[in-house]
Amino acid sequence: MSRPVARPRSRPILDGATLRLGEHEVPLRSGALHYWRLPKDHWRDALRQVKALGLPMVETYVPWGVHELELRDGKPVFDFGERDPRRDLAGFLDLAAEEELLVFVRPGPHINAELTGFGLPQRVLDDPEVQARSPRGNPVVLYFPPKMFAVPSHASEAYREHAGEWLDAVGAIVGPRRWPKGPVVMTQVDNELGFFFRSGPYCQDYHDDALALWHSFLTERHGDLEGVCRAHRATYATWSDASPPTRFAGDLEGDDLRGELARQLDWAAFAEHLHTDFARHLRHRFDRAGLGELPAVHNVSIGEGGAPVSVAGLGDAVDLVGLDYYHPTREQRVIKRRTLYLSGTTGAAYAPELGVGAPPWFTPLAHEDSLVTAMTACAYGLRGFNLYMAVDRDRWYGAPIDALGRARPEATAWRRFLAALENVGFHRAKRDVRVALQWPREYQRLTRATHLLGTVSPAVLEAMGGTPVELCRADALGFERPIQHAWWDDLARVASALTAAQVPYVYVDSDAPETRFEGYDVIFAPSYEYASPRRFERLARLAAKGTHVVYGPRLPERDEALLPHAFNAPGGHAPTRLDDTMAHALVADWVGRFELERPFATLPPVETTVHEIDGEERVLFVINPASAREAELALSRPTVAVDALTGESIAGDTSLRVAIDGESCRMFLLQSERRKAPRARRRT
Amino acid sequence: MISAELRFEGFDARSWTNLVSLFLPGLPERLDRAPDASDAPVAEGEVRARGSLLVVVDEDDVILAASHSQRGRVRELAGTSVDRTALPLLATRAGAHRVLVLREGVMEELAEQLGARFKSDDSYLAQLLEVIRAARELEASGELTLWPNPIANVPIPAAATFERALDLVLPDGRAAVLALWDGPLWTAVVLRRRHGEIDLVAGPETLVRWTGPLGGDWRRDYRVILDAVARSVAPVHFGIFAEAPTVRSLLRAADAGTWAQSVAVRNVVISPMPRTVGAALGADAVRGIGKASARALGGLDLAGALLPFVREVRARVTHASSVSEILGFDPLKVLGAILRRDEPPHDE
Repeated sequence: MSRPVARPRSRPILDGATLRLGEHEVPLRSGALHYWRLPKDHWRDALRQVKALGLPMVETYVPWGVHELELRDGKPVFDFGERDPRRDLAGFLDLAAEEELLVFVRPGPHINAELTGFGLPQRVLDDPEVQARSPRGNPVVLYFPPKMFAVPSHASEAYREHAGEWLDAVGAIVGPRRWPKGPVVMTQVDNELGFFFRSGPYCQDYHDDALALWHSFLTERHGDLEGVCRAHRATYATWSDASPPTRFAGDLEGDDLRGELARQLDWAAFAEHLHTDFARHLRHRFDRAGLGELPAVHNVSIGEGGAPVSVAGLGDAVDLVGLDYYHPTREQRVIKRRTLYLSGTTGAAYAPELGVGAPPWFTPLAHEDSLVTAMTACAYGLRGFNLYMAVDRDRWYGAPIDALGRARPEATAWRRFLAALENVGFHRAKRDVRVALQWPREYQRLTRATHLLGTVSPAVLEAMGGTPVELCRADALGFERPIQHAWWDDLARVASALTAAQVPYVYVDSDAPETRFEGYDVIFAPSYEYASPRRFERLARLAAKGTHVVYGPRLPERDEALLPHAFNAPGGHAPTRLDDTMAHALVADWVGRFELERPFATLPPVETTVHEIDGEERVLFVINPASAREAELALSRPTVAVDALTGESIAGDTSLRVAIDGESCRMFLLQSERRKAPRARRRT
Repeated sequence: MISAELRFEGFDARSWTNLVSLFLPGLPERLDRAPDASDAPVAEGEVRARGSLLVVVDEDDVILAASHSQRGRVRELAGTSVDRTALPLLATRAGAHRVLVLREGVMEELAEQLGARFKSDDSYLAQLLEVIRAARELEASGELTLWPNPIANVPIPAAATFERALDLVLPDGRAAVLALWDGPLWTAVVLRRRHGEIDLVAGPETLVRWTGPLGGDWRRDYRVILDAVARSVAPVHFGIFAEAPTVRSLLRAADAGTWAQSVAVRNVVISPMPRTVGAALGADAVRGIGKASARALGGLDLAGALLPFVREVRARVTHASSVSEILGFDPLKVLGAILRRDEPPHDE
């Protein structure tokens, strides 16, 4: 389960997808169990089954709305097992320790967990001072079953205060049980930040506290009110005049239109800022509550491509940002894109929720959907995950362990998969990736700002199997092309060309730290008439250090306020105009110029990925997003590969023949020696 | 209609997806559909199966954006005008079997209406009906248009009306059971109603915990199930037991008399049978007989001849009124119409 390392420490340290606990390292793999939803006398059996799956850690939410009983003299009264034994959080943590399981605790304040009101107490949700506000001042209602509720405002001081009281209560129990004194090794700050899925551009938040934050955000961004007036092409006599947009005025022209775009882009950026600000506030509260010495993560839900949160920005507030995964097998390429984005942007691709089963009001998911999702995500670089759920419970179906703590037949496949990951040390694996596609945040914001479907937001659209750009305005808004679509299309062209050429790549969010961009041979950066000057300055620095930076189709002329700005061409090169033919030609040039390797090459649509552990190629994934077939993989040397789940062994001198089902993934352990010469370049 | 304390339990992935597949006909087929071969993010130009077309227009009905549920963006429609009287033609051109036209801002308006009318004490059904009412008002004012609209003339009942209709098949303090076999138990669901709302949805794992191991002959096992549910949950008011393929085809059946026939030959066991269900089956039988006899007798309208007799019989059954009467529409008919339209073109 763990191996000793040098230099013991007194608190858990998160190092990539590994937890360092003193002399030991533990892979970041866990399984979810909701203690309050099982009879207490089933806890031990369920914990043992989690461990029998091959997981070193169990994860649980701590539900505020379940533990809070009432208000007395204005103060919340909590039950932690004194009245209902299922609420005995301390007992659960101590039992986990007895069963030699570590614990990952997620105390919210918001947890969802398919609880009514997403786990928040009704008195908090009903507080008008807490409720997020629509443009007309109405509550913002989330329509999920079994009961709609008005969502809280993340800016609300009242909400933050209530949440702080809850975290203090949790901290009193969890704090004394932090490793090494107890089993708790990690926490999560809140859950799936993103306006509670009510994330259309004008859904929220027009709460007074949010408006105050909006004004301070504008000051940070533009210096002062005069700077805001200049950016928005407006005359604001006072700050209260600088109100946020409530619709997109697409019928303007010329500089008026540019001012409108600047205001809309500010509003889209503000949504990200609001969430990061809230996460930072909560992290501080976690510290005050006695949870500060634990690594903290945050999970972004499906639909991050259109969400009002910045994965990179949230990384300022927590130690690791991950993505949640709930996908049917037909979404393998979505899983690929999300994992490559996570891998490139964070450097330690982690899934705080890797769905096993689903809630009944979600897209129905079969066992194969969950397992193929997990394997496909690992194929593209996922290094750690929390199986959600490992143990079944109310308002869920499909976990490998039932609600009585008994293993279901599906548990066998999970056990084999987890054993394979453990035996090979997959959490330490790296892929040799030399091409990065820069994910341009300022254009993603334009996509959100021009979205036309309101509460069915870009993020919700993506979660439903669409794309975040599908229902944006199609007009060009004064640009040569509609940038709100173009960035997505241009990234798709290059990604398709790289895939056709079997060249590994990742996406790196433009807001990620500069270190995330270092070590690549090639960076492709979409750019149009306007761009973030900071992004371009960074590209110039990378080009100066030797990275081959390809940008285009335009050298920008305006900044994010659409004001004129002089941009320097990275590396002094002209922009590249892309079409499908050009994209393939570009990639062919990169392959030749940088001798990009393409191990285990095969014919599309099948793809392969190779993972190195301790400098040696050890794991091969074969991914088939199409119908069942036999794939032939080219070998550079004789190879023996053993299927990690079935034990089937295949071998070849110059090629390997692999039979693979439709919409599936196979994991092979490479037996022959495949040590690679060390390179200074990026491995993810 | 569903409790805020709703408990859902006892399904694994297979039994839940089986149950859902009865009502989402595309579900069994999606695993067979050839997936897209290209890379992410999705590039344009991919042609997928039939689906729905969603169009957002400005105040002059000029298209601002259009998207096909299977193909994504439909770029060529942007900038063109929508003729709301010619939506079938638009659907054909776009390769869709349904079109939804939305005026820009209508979703925001719907959200504002939902927020303005929101009452946190309301049941989920009441809240949902407010959304539907607001959407219907927007439809009436031309802000949104759906073609075809299978519920265009369907009145929106009040929450209390739905609850009265539900009383006929699942009264308060009672349970309903559906169990289907395909060899072994294929899926099952037990619903319980308490304090006016459904507070329990239990699947086969929970059911088998109550019954113990079943014998394997579903025409006998159903009695064991009924006893176990009555003991563990509540007295059973309504139970349907059959083989899965039988129920799947009946849910999509257009022919009158097919339900009644299946019950008559015990391909479907309904036990207990609420009076209202019996009356509905009787009416279905009459319609079936009438249709069959009309074919056999060269068009003689036997049903028409029998109808006065049927009416007299029903008038004597004073407690039984039909679900359709209460709601103002026949839910099975509407469901069948929707399912037939959504059914994929090839055979199952």
